[in-house]
Amino acid sequence: MNRGPFIFIGVFIVLAFSWANLVHKPVQESGQLAAYFSDSERMPRLLPGEAEQGRQVYQQMGCVSCHTQQSRLESGFDIQRGWGSRQSVARDYIDQSPSLIGDRRLGPDLSNAAAGDRDREWHHLHFYNPQITSKGSNMPSYSFLYDKTAVMGQKSDRALNLPEEFAVESGYQIVPSRRAEALVAYMLSLQVDYDLPEAPNPEKIGL
Amino acid sequence: MKLISNICSSLSPEFSGDSKHREGQLSIDGSVRFQLLGLIKSAIFWLVVSILFGLIASIKLHSPGFLGHCEWLTYGKVEPVFWNSLIYGWLFNAGLACSFWLLVRLGGAPAGNGFLLTVSLSIWNVALIVGLLGILMGGMLPITWRDSFTVSGQLPYEWLEMPAFIVPVLLAAFLGMGLWGVLAFRERVHRVVYASQWYILAALFAFAWIYTVVQVMLMSQPAQGTLQYLIGSWYANNLLMVVIVPFALAVVYYMLPKVLGKPIVGYNHSGKAFWSWILFASSAGSAELLYGPVPSWVSSVGIIAAFGILYPLSIFSIQFLSTLFASFSRIWETISLRFIFFGCIGFLLFGCYFIYGSLRVTQDVVQFSSFNNGVQLLGLLGFATMVFSGCLYFILSRLLNKELPSAGLAELHFWMQLLGVFLVVSSLITGGMQEGELMNGSVTGVLSIVANMKSYYAMATLGMGLILVGAIGFMISFSMLLLSERSGKETTVNLIEESPDLEVSAT
Repeated sequence: MNRGPFIFIGVFIVLAFSWANLVHKPVQESGQLAAYFSDSERMPRLLPGEAEQGRQVYQQMGCVSCHTQQSRLESGFDIQRGWGSRQSVARDYIDQSPSLIGDRRLGPDLSNAAAGDRDREWHHLHFYNPQITSKGSNMPSYSFLYDKTAVMGQKSDRALNLPEEFAVESGYQIVPSRRAEALVAYMLSLQVDYDLPEAPNPEKIGL
Repeated sequence: MKLISNICSSLSPEFSGDSKHREGQLSIDGSVRFQLLGLIKSAIFWLVVSILFGLIASIKLHSPGFLGHCEWLTYGKVEPVFWNSLIYGWLFNAGLACSFWLLVRLGGAPAGNGFLLTVSLSIWNVALIVGLLGILMGGMLPITWRDSFTVSGQLPYEWLEMPAFIVPVLLAAFLGMGLWGVLAFRERVHRVVYASQWYILAALFAFAWIYTVVQVMLMSQPAQGTLQYLIGSWYANNLLMVVIVPFALAVVYYMLPKVLGKPIVGYNHSGKAFWSWILFASSAGSAELLYGPVPSWVSSVGIIAAFGILYPLSIFSIQFLSTLFASFSRIWETISLRFIFFGCIGFLLFGCYFIYGSLRVTQDVVQFSSFNNGVQLLGLLGFATMVFSGCLYFILSRLLNKELPSAGLAELHFWMQLLGVFLVVSSLITGGMQEGELMNGSVTGVLSIVANMKSYYAMATLGMGLILVGAIGFMISFSMLLLSERSGKETTVNLIEESPDLEVSAT
């Protein structure tokens, strides 16, 4: 081991082995997945334009530091918690670049954030101040995505209906900015409610 | 004026006295003094910056309102800035400073090409500032500016959050520094290559290799969907296991025999440990991709590789612990060795937790919890940071031919860092196990899990605060060392008594 080139070539071969096995082979095997069409409907669905902008806000704010977008069938209670209806598979993510899967759950998984009865108003209140909707949460407030404006005549129909204890002084209102609207549109588009041949819904096949 | 003349005297000292033995070492140190001080200065600056951001992120976990109205200090931005400045700022600058010093000292010849190193290390650090500002400014640039960057804001990959446009710049800067290292290695006079040099060459080459893969497969031609997640995780694991850990192992292999004046026990097994470490550690990280939307055999390969680590780990533990325990009483004599002793303990714990964490039964409990971050920090702070700090004290007094300005400050740095790392790592690991048990083992609501975790987050904040105090102590020590007036004693060449040549004692 007294020769530099010997060490270089050895390390090159070992790292090439790791790369070929763990990176190149999966890319060859499953790097060219195409969308699945059922009754001429494309699965997974494409994001609407505003939601696509919201995806960028989600990425810029680093939401992936605390939220995953993957549900597991074989481990944990993701299905029981309502975070997903089936196992997430590679085809669910073919349109995502960069991929926002994430590997840290300080908060809930968001792959099905649109499921349930949470509407636009709930999400806006949640982003404006998470304590309004989820008391005790350690999610930061995104109040900087909202504008405090003076009420001119009539209140804006987009203004938030804040509860008493969080209300701003009279004559003012809290209005979502364009980025906040996009982020909420993205939240409302997150739903894996379709089935793929490789990932059937466990309830439907009686698991 | 006085300060300027003191800095000049630090950078280009004049020596008196006569010592045949030290003359060679002084000319070697002189050839890299300016560049190494540049690396060390940046390293200490980034250490303070990263721990400050780590402290803010940690406070935000239990008091979300803290600095809540600043868009650029929201948790999702502060947290990646902490990791990136810790790794690319502190650990890279400090690791390269230690490595380059070892390369020229072990090579036995003064190094040339100083200009190449000066330019590349400056580009690296400036690019890092731009990249971290890119994370903090994400979404805040005016619309007209945003179009001029491919991606505005951070990327969602672990330890790769800096915007895509900065990756080629960092890669080019690193290739410059790596090339300097290889050239310094080629100019060596001692033909026998010591274990430290294997690890340094491996780490330099490995980073160039994995960062190129990132540039090609994630930035220029992004792979499809989930494979980006896979590539990001492969990169992060290799960055830790075959770049940062080898830099730190190189330091341990050099410092133990150098300070103790005795060879490493069982040195002839080092080759086996080296190759098996690179082989197994480079594949071991994929174990945590379990149950995700990636091929499931990938995580199985990771589990097998993680078990392979047991082999090099047992060789390391016998070598390091036997060498240290054979002269146990001497550990307390030198501050450097004290750091390195605890670094070695940290490394062995890190290896054990890493293997334990890759088990399927463990991941069933701890997946997506703070456990994995705790184990990573055990490697980054408990091992690499401890070892580099110790080595930098050793290098600085030799490079400048000065004595440490205050033993008390170094003591403060040591104790604060040791206690702080212990608090941070233990709260993340034990807290993560509890968090995971509630999150993965029950349907307990997320809000009650948060309430349950508050005390662990508070403990981590306390730990981060202690590390910050230590890091500031380190920074003051460094500034005083650089700015103090050279005393009469410090102009003599025999200020530092070197132990016998390493090459003699090691082989």
